Amino acid sequence: MAQSGDVHKVAPEMAIAFFRDIMPFNTLDEAVLSDIAHHCRVDFYPKGTRLLTTGETDITHLYLIQRGGVKAFIEDDQGEVCLKDFRGVGAYIGALGIIRGTPANLNIETVEDTFCFLLPKEIFLKLVEEKPSFAHYYLKSFSEKVVSTAYSELRHQKVSRRSGEDLYLFSVKVGELVKNLRMVPDTCSIQQAAAKMVEFHVGSLLVHAPANEEDIVGIITDRDLRGKVVAKGLDYNEPVKQIMTAPVLTVLSQTLCFDVLLKMMKTSIHHLAVERGGRIVGMVTSHDIMLLQGHSPYHLFKEILGEQEIRGLYVLAQKIPDVVRGLIKEGAKAGNITQMIAILNDHILERLLILLEEEMGTPPVAYCWLLMGSEGRREQTFKTDQDNAILYADSVDEKEKNAASVYFKAFAAKAIDHLVNCGYPLCPGDIMATNPKWCQPLSVWKDYFSRWVDTPDPAEILNATIFFDFRSGFGATELAHDLRRHLNKKARAKDIFLFHLARQCMATRIPLSFFKNFIVNKDGEHKHQLDIKQQGLTPFVNFARVLALKNGISETNTLARLKALHESDCIDQKLWSSATDAYELQMQQRLVHQLSQIEGGTLPDNHINPEQLSDLEKRMLKDAFTVIERLYSVLDKIYPIA
Amino acid sequence: MNISNLFNPLKWFGASSPLLQKNKEFFADFDQAQPLSEYTFVVCDTELTGLNKKKDELISIGAVMIRGLQIDMSSMFHCLIRPENIDPTQATLVHRITPEQLAQAEPLSKVLPQFVDYIHGSLLVGHHLPLDMHFLNRATKNVMDGVLSNPGIDTMRMAQGYKRVRLGHYHEHNPRTTSYRLDDLGREYDLPEFKPHDALEDALQTAYLFLYLIKKFRKGGLVTLRDIFQAGRTGSFRY
Repeated sequence: MAQSGDVHKVAPEMAIAFFRDIMPFNTLDEAVLSDIAHHCRVDFYPKGTRLLTTGETDITHLYLIQRGGVKAFIEDDQGEVCLKDFRGVGAYIGALGIIRGTPANLNIETVEDTFCFLLPKEIFLKLVEEKPSFAHYYLKSFSEKVVSTAYSELRHQKVSRRSGEDLYLFSVKVGELVKNLRMVPDTCSIQQAAAKMVEFHVGSLLVHAPANEEDIVGIITDRDLRGKVVAKGLDYNEPVKQIMTAPVLTVLSQTLCFDVLLKMMKTSIHHLAVERGGRIVGMVTSHDIMLLQGHSPYHLFKEILGEQEIRGLYVLAQKIPDVVRGLIKEGAKAGNITQMIAILNDHILERLLILLEEEMGTPPVAYCWLLMGSEGRREQTFKTDQDNAILYADSVDEKEKNAASVYFKAFAAKAIDHLVNCGYPLCPGDIMATNPKWCQPLSVWKDYFSRWVDTPDPAEILNATIFFDFRSGFGATELAHDLRRHLNKKARAKDIFLFHLARQCMATRIPLSFFKNFIVNKDGEHKHQLDIKQQGLTPFVNFARVLALKNGISETNTLARLKALHESDCIDQKLWSSATDAYELQMQQRLVHQLSQIEGGTLPDNHINPEQLSDLEKRMLKDAFTVIERLYSVLDKIYPIA
Repeated sequence: MNISNLFNPLKWFGASSPLLQKNKEFFADFDQAQPLSEYTFVVCDTELTGLNKKKDELISIGAVMIRGLQIDMSSMFHCLIRPENIDPTQATLVHRITPEQLAQAEPLSKVLPQFVDYIHGSLLVGHHLPLDMHFLNRATKNVMDGVLSNPGIDTMRMAQGYKRVRLGHYHEHNPRTTSYRLDDLGREYDLPEFKPHDALEDALQTAYLFLYLIKKFRKGGLVTLRDIFQAGRTGSFRY
């Protein structure tokens, strides 16, 4: 063929533009992209075409969806189909098979007319080998991928991309951060250990048993040297065994850095040993993860803990949406995001109440600050109204009782004011610690729950449901546990109460018409919109609550309740996984919706216009709604009307 | 025809350049009964100085190759052609090609043999192909003493056939009420969008349309080239 110059080398701009817009190709430079585009083929698969068959299809190229969408599913021996995933524009198919060198692990079928770019296997493997970000990206678990796909559209529209270091927190495993294992035997003297730390430029050492290097018995840090040796005047020749902290907390090397971060924040322990195949291979510190993350949730967390003035907390609390935005941009799962919001909010609350106690003097009796509703379930999004209460210990005499009543009234008033200044709006239903009804000793609280359970009045239950999701936010946690035990004992035995709760749950109509179209508001302020919280998420929350109460499960988080219900065989594997997926998907859509509202300068709400969703999002949302029917049919069997 | 040909007995009976000869021989006993995926298609688009069939000239050819019913991004063809008369006031402005660019381009006699070589053994596909064929054949007559023998498929007629099949033969259907313009069809079938009035981008747009239609046809049970020709009455061998 007569070739003249670059005649046949042109890679069309539209192909390069496609790759420039999808992860992880967006990290490559133009020359590489052009080369990749040049080696691609484009194929078209009409709706209903089977692309891959589990265990059969050898994958010769990576599929990248340019237009349309596919579903991924598995089929068991009986031909029973279990849907695993929907993938839309920008998503890929076949990466795992190519990387592992195995046939397809899922069935893939187009659900729309679909155009795909086909990238030859050899070129893809070379990219995976040469660019670490590629391997990380493609080896992430399935569920994370769903999220990153859902967020990628948003990312393109709203967010300017950061250069190559996206997603570290969610893609890097802690094993990859571990450097050399530095350790000393527990018989080693303090001075020798300190000398080793200087030599290795480290702030901590692991300590092993004298005869066995594999048997890690403890850890020493700079802080131990300062606090336990220098300050106390301990002899430097004492063995490190005297000052080490034991046992060492460990994490598995394949744990994602995000989860390690959560663990550090929950336990307030900043040095964790990393375990691989039953052996300790090194250590990871909060510093290592902070370096990875740059401007991080962890940074904010530390600022909150160190804050000495209540006023200072106002500013810090306002930073939470920024951190959350960062997490969404990184493609975190909704479950992780709400968990992070809960942890940060809890720390604001804790710091605030500690400082307030210092200001007002020690309370006359022990108390517990209760969180209700979505805060109680750890499911807050960007802005949540305050739903709280005070539960305090029963008093020994009248004098103490009066003192407690006076103290907590004033305490609640100040706390609520501060919380408002931190950006948590007042509860319109007045379910707050400032309401005398919801600032009571344990015995009164037990009476409340007894009454709701024993003589259920449907109207009253409707308003009381959020109380059943209470958890301890700060203070004497055992008071909350005591109340929870009381409720569990009561509720399990009272079918008539659970019946009302279940029927009320089923009263929320599924927002799909007979023909599976979305049912939206016909007029008013939210015309053509549906309320994803009330119509979509609440049925899942209610379902999980009813069955958790019935089965004495103390968890309040909806996903945790569903998991516990599955583990105690109350719901089967299939329902559990579809309900979990459906719930997370809706949470994500809600978060994405609210983030775009915040970035657009409006107040976040829960009203979504289905017409503004992409086809794939619409279908995923419809599928999520159909799960509600299955939940209702479970409830209907347990609590039939007749 | 060149004057010099009068003195060459081989050319008295319309003998054409070796490239065109080879092309003609290839398609002499062309088999239409193979499965569609066996054929190579070249989807092409041309840009012209204007629409006057006698006077106007080719100024750009863009083409993409389809093998195994997949668009092959590694073999594309895109060339500007220097016309004999450059008139900056004409339609060239529509194509965003400047007169300077045209002045620097290769002449038809250089570009066309490359294109004929590129399409050797392939079926030609284009949107409203007869128009492109008219100008291509006029050009080959001028510089290569012959015409193209490649069979052609017109995606516009395919689209009309597809609509007929979808709506049913007995359906009251007036093709004049629907638009068969390339960009309108792209929107109707929700195909990716391209920059209009660039020969390569238009060829790609047409390739997407062709892939869409031929696979829709194939899903309907039309598996050989002959099936496509007959069922949709989408093309013919003569232009």
